[in-house]
Amino acid sequence: MQLFFQLVVDGLASGAIYASLALALVLIFRATRIVNFGQGEMATFSAYCAWQLCEWGMPMTPSFLVVGALAFLLGIGVFRFVIRPVSKAPVEAVVVVTLGLFVVFQALSLWLWGSDQRAFPSMFPNVGWDLLGVRVTASAVGIVGVLLGLAVATGAIFRFTRLGLAMRASAYDGEKSLLVGIPVERMLMLGWGFAAVIGFVAAVLVGPRLFLSPTMMMPILLYALASATLGGWDSPLGAMIGGLIVGVAESLGATFLPFIGADLRVVIPILVTLLVLLVRPVGLFGTRTVVKL
Amino acid sequence: MSTWNLRYAPASLAAVFALGLPAFAPDFMLFEFSIAVSYGIAILGLNLLLGVTGQICLAQGALFGVGAYTTAILNVSFGWDPVATLPFAAIVAGLIGVVVGLPALRLQGLQLAIITFGVASAFPQLLLKMDTLTGGVTGLATDQPMAPKWFPGSQEVWLYGLSLICAAISIVVVTRLLRGDTGRMLRALRDNPVIAEALGVNLTKGRLAAFAVSSALAGLGGGLFCILNGFISPQSFLPMKSIDILIGGIVGGITSIAGAFIGAVFVVFVPGFTTDIDPALGGLIYGLCLIAMMMVARQGIAGLRIEGLQKAVLGIFRIKGLSRIPGSVPGQLGGE
Repeated sequence: MQLFFQLVVDGLASGAIYASLALALVLIFRATRIVNFGQGEMATFSAYCAWQLCEWGMPMTPSFLVVGALAFLLGIGVFRFVIRPVSKAPVEAVVVVTLGLFVVFQALSLWLWGSDQRAFPSMFPNVGWDLLGVRVTASAVGIVGVLLGLAVATGAIFRFTRLGLAMRASAYDGEKSLLVGIPVERMLMLGWGFAAVIGFVAAVLVGPRLFLSPTMMMPILLYALASATLGGWDSPLGAMIGGLIVGVAESLGATFLPFIGADLRVVIPILVTLLVLLVRPVGLFGTRTVVKL
Repeated sequence: MSTWNLRYAPASLAAVFALGLPAFAPDFMLFEFSIAVSYGIAILGLNLLLGVTGQICLAQGALFGVGAYTTAILNVSFGWDPVATLPFAAIVAGLIGVVVGLPALRLQGLQLAIITFGVASAFPQLLLKMDTLTGGVTGLATDQPMAPKWFPGSQEVWLYGLSLICAAISIVVVTRLLRGDTGRMLRALRDNPVIAEALGVNLTKGRLAAFAVSSALAGLGGGLFCILNGFISPQSFLPMKSIDILIGGIVGGITSIAGAFIGAVFVVFVPGFTTDIDPALGGLIYGLCLIAMMMVARQGIAGLRIEGLQKAVLGIFRIKGLSRIPGSVPGQLGGE
């Protein structure tokens, strides 16, 4: 039983990371109906920037803040110059473009920083506590805390500010929002910017757990895609809960399902995705869309 | 007569080039071209699936790997002649492709992309897990079919000839499929599945058939790749392989048969030229090409027309108005 709870705690910590990247994916999907396959690699790129600033002697907190702002601009730039020109193209074309982003940012990180793994500084102290035999580390608590912070912040922005209302409106119905005077284009751009920042937060959380490398976020992206599918692509809350579920399922599955084991844990998000798509394609919290002919 | 010329001139030119290549290309170059042909067959499959029927599959590299491993296992464990395994590589990959394609019956563009991306990511892990069969990390080394004594050229020319025969078979299969009723049915799946179904097209059958043929071609290409390379390991079939194949398809021209092979040459030779300068440069060029192709020339190199290019370049500066409207219908990628 102790092992079980230990695994749940570990799973929640990694689940919170999946959840934050899933949140970034869902924000972009809600705003522009695009799944950004390049999200993880953009985040890795920002994390490398932060690492570089730390390496140049800047303290951790200001460098994270500076890079957070940079990530925001990066998201806006990518939307403005890469996504917008193809926004009317068919789905397959947009998938290809975001895969292009994936390849470009991975190559960019590889080009600038090489393929050596780097140790990424952790935001949390290296301590832990024993709770009834279950070891809870400060980083696990911190990661879940950051996720909750993100959740509350996004929720509050969407729910209580005019900006959030305008963003929700543009995501809901772009044409009509335009008619009532919402600058839809700018809202979508902001959506991409926020998503890039959240992706960066996810990368900062992952960094200390794995080492920083150009392909660091590739597996995380797969888990985040599964989380977003599980939670429902148009629900930020769903993405976060989905992420936690996927994290726990992965942690438990890898230990308790002998035919999966540690090697095949990557199969778990795929199975989750497949199951959700076949049983309830809109996910746990998604809304059913009606297609008119 | 002139339209006939226009239709067949590029194809015959390409055939003359392919057949004449051994005369002036050195052996190592010929080997690279043979590898390119094996990729080209897999890309041809993707073109049929994505370009013609509009279903995205990011697991083409995994199916390529299935073909390669079928050839290797039949050769290593059962002692078959490598060339004789090629049809089985195609059949096994085709069957697995149908299984991968089953979700496609219910899922559209994005979800299918996610699922197949997952399959591509899991494939190398699966190979490691089944190490009794696949040799795990160490991989499998296969015999190469030797050129018979009467053959005047070198071993490379012999293998190149084998690749060309495989390519010719695949091209014949795909052109036959694209002609007439079958071709129209496949395009209808992409352009408007609802109307197609109302008019009596069996969507299930059509989609699965497209997946089967596409995967079988990937398997044939993979088997050929295994024979040419003489050695395979899970490292050869990482998820990036699927993306490479997609890049080849897009750059060459996703609806074109010639485009598949142009794209394959691009995918094989660009990293070769660029790694000398910087190992990351190839990726950078790949990614930028993917994005640029989608913006400027959605029909790839094979679809380039001068006036079309002009229009497309001007078009970039003229885009205005609303972004993607929620719920817009997925449409065709290549367009004809």
